[in-house]
Amino acid sequence: MAFDLTLLTGSGFWNPFFWLISIVVALILIYIIYAFGEKGYKRGTQQVKPFISGNPEPSKAGVHVRAGNLYWGYMDALKVYYAGLVPIHSGILTDYLLWLFSVAAILFVLVVLL
Amino acid sequence: MADWTAFLYAILGTVLISFFGMGFGLGILGVDRKLAAHMQARIGPPLRQPFIDFRKLLLKENIVPENAIPWLFNAAPVFALASSITILLYLPIGGLPPVLGNYGDIILVMYLLTVPALAMVAGGFASGSPYATVGAQREMITMIAYEFPLATVLIALAWRLSVLGVANPFSLSALTATPVWAMAGPLGAVGAVLLLIVLILVTPGELSRVPFDTPEAETELAGGLIVEYSGRNLAMFYLAQGVKTVAMTSVIVALFFPWGLSGLIPGSPVTGFVADLIFYVIKVLAVVFISVSVIRVVMARFRINQVVTLYWVFIGGLGILGLLLLVLDSLGGV
Repeated sequence: MAFDLTLLTGSGFWNPFFWLISIVVALILIYIIYAFGEKGYKRGTQQVKPFISGNPEPSKAGVHVRAGNLYWGYMDALKVYYAGLVPIHSGILTDYLLWLFSVAAILFVLVVLL
Repeated sequence: MADWTAFLYAILGTVLISFFGMGFGLGILGVDRKLAAHMQARIGPPLRQPFIDFRKLLLKENIVPENAIPWLFNAAPVFALASSITILLYLPIGGLPPVLGNYGDIILVMYLLTVPALAMVAGGFASGSPYATVGAQREMITMIAYEFPLATVLIALAWRLSVLGVANPFSLSALTATPVWAMAGPLGAVGAVLLLIVLILVTPGELSRVPFDTPEAETELAGGLIVEYSGRNLAMFYLAQGVKTVAMTSVIVALFFPWGLSGLIPGSPVTGFVADLIFYVIKVLAVVFISVSVIRVVMARFRINQVVTLYWVFIGGLGILGLLLLVLDSLGGV
């Protein structure tokens, strides 16, 4: 039965079926409330222009946030960490393999010791 | 519980919890506004103001910007609210056990807490506005930032339970039945206080409230990811904000203050249930006062890079320290 779909991880558990049931019920309830709201607006007027504090709308390309800038705040806050990490990425396969085996060896020693 | 009984219980529970969450959520927003106003020497709006605002938003035009992706723009607020409600189903409310307590644990709650934020991010990107795009970008970063200290707290508490040999240490029923205060020595109690402080500081970030309201930032982004929202769409986001406040504060109450009054009050089970419910409401309001109202009145907004540094380095560090103290306490006591 779908009811028995509880997934066990050893420590945790969850049942996607019951979550799906509950969110479907919640969506129906909310849509009923949502449907009571005003639907209309004035299409094709100034109303549908994006709000940019009264400034003229720049070109789409001019305000596009590129993927490289998407995590700016995160990268900026951890720039000291990335300053050390980025140069390690040399692009040479043997360097990556060396890192892989070194870290695996350290982990193996730690796991065996513990 | 038989399969179909569990199925019907889940449906009925969802309906009841939905109305409770929405009503209580708007009520909490009213109390928060009133308390914040009094702390700033203002009279503030009446407690029912959020209900008035919600009704008024439903009467306003629901504008869809010409640059927007209409289906995603309209679906995001509805999904944000529905997903906020599902979080409440895994949390104990008053003296009642969680509706879906046997079907999900605290790790699931942690992930469900991100779903309304992801819906807001989707809505922000679908708005087609530069302000909303920057707001959505900031929301994603804020989410990554507070997940680390939040996970530290939850893992620390569950780990302490697992050391004691409690079955299903991540389940809400196990966490509420064995509060951290009952099993910790003096060192562990200090660790638990630090973890509580961490969770209190995660709450405004989770709810996008000052000083972590960088995704909305009215003064610089004019509302950020909700800048293009109006009418019934904005009403749904407003309601989701209330429900999410109930959910986040209920997590703190369940983990750190799970006690009820029903055991102390003689009388019928109904009297006990009412006493527990009133006590739960008081506890939630106290947590809202400390973690939302006081913090937002005394602090100004952080920049987005400061948010990350604060959550990953300082608050995250505080969480790790709390975890270490719990570990040291268990090594000495077990």
